[in-house]
Amino acid sequence: MLTPVLLGALAVLLAGPAPRLLARAAAVRHTPRAALVLWQGVALAAVLAALGAGLALATHQAWRRAPDPVSVAVAGLALLVTAVVLGRLLLTAHRTGTRLRALRRRHRRHLDLLGQRDEAVGEGVLVLEHEVPVAYCLPGVGRSRVVLSAGALGRLEPDELVAVLAHERAHLRARHDLVLEAFSVLHRAFPRWVSSASALEEVRLLAEVLADRAAARRAGRAPLARALVTLAAGAAPEGSVGAADDVTGLRTRIELLREVRRRPVQAALVLAAAGALLVLPTAFVVGPWLGGL
Amino acid sequence: MPSSRPVLGDLERAVMERLWTAGEASLTVREVHAGLAQEREIAYTTVMTVMDRLARKGLVLQEREGRAYGYRARGSRAEMTAELMRETLDDFADHDRGTALVAFVDAASPEDVAALRRALAELV
Repeated sequence: MLTPVLLGALAVLLAGPAPRLLARAAAVRHTPRAALVLWQGVALAAVLAALGAGLALATHQAWRRAPDPVSVAVAGLALLVTAVVLGRLLLTAHRTGTRLRALRRRHRRHLDLLGQRDEAVGEGVLVLEHEVPVAYCLPGVGRSRVVLSAGALGRLEPDELVAVLAHERAHLRARHDLVLEAFSVLHRAFPRWVSSASALEEVRLLAEVLADRAAARRAGRAPLARALVTLAAGAAPEGSVGAADDVTGLRTRIELLREVRRRPVQAALVLAAAGALLVLPTAFVVGPWLGGL
Repeated sequence: MPSSRPVLGDLERAVMERLWTAGEASLTVREVHAGLAQEREIAYTTVMTVMDRLARKGLVLQEREGRAYGYRARGSRAEMTAELMRETLDDFADHDRGTALVAFVDAASPEDVAALRRALAELV
């Protein structure tokens, strides 16, 4: 009876308090790559533990020598709940993926008709004739695009432009969109009783920090920071009020740019934690259970 | 057929350019073909296929004019660009659902911008 209880407790812990605590541990952001791996470890371990708990409970009840009606009912219920959780995840993943890909396909089609390829700006960069200063990328294998508006192009100095392009290309190269998509799926599948909102927000921030670092290596920190401020200020909706807190994580990004010291020990520890989350439950809880079946 | 895609996209652009230049007036496939044929060797049926595709995607409006179909762009180039930009900004603002595009930076409040400028001054 210990296996389902342990796995269930682990699932609850990893789904609720762990993301909330991890989102508050600001120091982890100084090793963004390791932190991103840890977030994925937490999410994966939570899902596996939840599914494992259901299956373990079902087998525990049904594998008895003489199963009574109550154990059979409990086993059936555990299986049902497990199937619902898994089904909900898969369905949300399918829906989210389909929706994102359709949106991107449509956007890419319009971009290719309306944007101007400008090799002087950068290879494969599309320029949109519009005053609102925006820079973004559209992910997709072999079909990705980096887009700048004329408004952005007009406001950026050459070294700032290099930083912006390096930032966008870092996103595309590292496929941050896939990580974000996975956490969006989690959030949409379980919006309430799992701390998926803080997880999604933090993962989004970490992806930006990673791209910022790549851009800073390429163009320098100062041009990147200037570009961030210029484009954030230029795109600000007129008369927007309030929002004194750092809603978009922009201040955090600039703060993190100031820190350049490498932290190999912290990175190793964070990575080890991510590995442990997946290995330890498997070795000590799931292994013995599977062996005893 | 990976190589045919850029060609097709190129053709779609050329057709759209013609329609945008025509403005409100609609053009027949024959008229667009005549214009394009001055610059490149191209079959009438190819132009028809491309214009049909554009109409199916809703980028071009198709109207019956007597015995032929007239085509015009859904909006001017500037209008369609503005529309695309509006969709882009909406997508950026939609944080909860997972966005299709990845913005370099989100729009910040004036307070945020002031704080950023202070942080920037310390950085450089």
